[in-house]
Amino acid sequence: MTLSSGVAEATKLSEEQVAGFIIDATKEVFGTMVMMELEDQYPLREPVTKFHCSVTGMVGLAGTYSGILSIHCPLEFALRITSSMLGMEVDEVGEDVNDALGEIANMLGGYVKMVLSKGGMDLHLSVPTVISGEEYTLNAMADNDCVIIPFVNDSQRFLVGLKLQKEA
Amino acid sequence: MANVLIVDDSSTMRKIISRSLRQAGLPVDEIFEGGDGIEGLNVLAGKSVDLILSDINMPNMDGLEFIKQARANGCKAPIVMITTEGGEDILKQALENGASDSIKKPFTPDQLNEKLGGLL
Repeated sequence: MTLSSGVAEATKLSEEQVAGFIIDATKEVFGTMVMMELEDQYPLREPVTKFHCSVTGMVGLAGTYSGILSIHCPLEFALRITSSMLGMEVDEVGEDVNDALGEIANMLGGYVKMVLSKGGMDLHLSVPTVISGEEYTLNAMADNDCVIIPFVNDSQRFLVGLKLQKEA
Repeated sequence: MANVLIVDDSSTMRKIISRSLRQAGLPVDEIFEGGDGIEGLNVLAGKSVDLILSDINMPNMDGLEFIKQARANGCKAPIVMITTEGGEDILKQALENGASDSIKKPFTPDQLNEKLGGLL
């Protein structure tokens, strides 16, 4: 797993810097909006495509760069995140969980946009998309040119991934 | 006490902002909500609002168009953008369209207090 060479050249950022940036952004979003402290783990070396009993929130980036910022949580952890954000118990996946995971993806996408685009007009964020299910396959992180960071809170683990390409 | 309109397509974020306004100890009375710019304009057409907090990236009508139309309709209340869109050009455009200030997501109640305290 590595950052695309085109992106690394254009941004003058190393893979370690991008990983560090994702870690800082995720910890800040969770610390302020979810009220959860996180521990980060080493970036994954293999792509992840299959998810089991999970919820995935994604935002697309389009413009001078294209890509996807995604967060992948086990169902139980997605319920904990949503409950903490809303300040009320949420015990089933539905509109609240979809909205919470989408908003986290949106905030993380905003951080990525700020790093890649100082002005903000040459890079656009999509409205978030959320999917969930017992078994599903995602190709967003199937290639090697992405960075995937695992995070842990209270022994529960989730992933944040960034796949980026430089547009011609 | 002030009436506040929150315009954000995320219901979770609207709840967080509402809770944070109370936690920050700001003098807030009623809080109205809109899920996009169109709903925000509909609220403004029927309610008296002292402060507007708006996202930028929303479906149907985004925050930049919302503030432009709100000002065109005669809205004088301060409008503060609460957004992940921290780019200089976007914030400059928001100010040109009539926004008063901006707050970056994620935020803390203290940051809300610091930015909004002088407007209420």
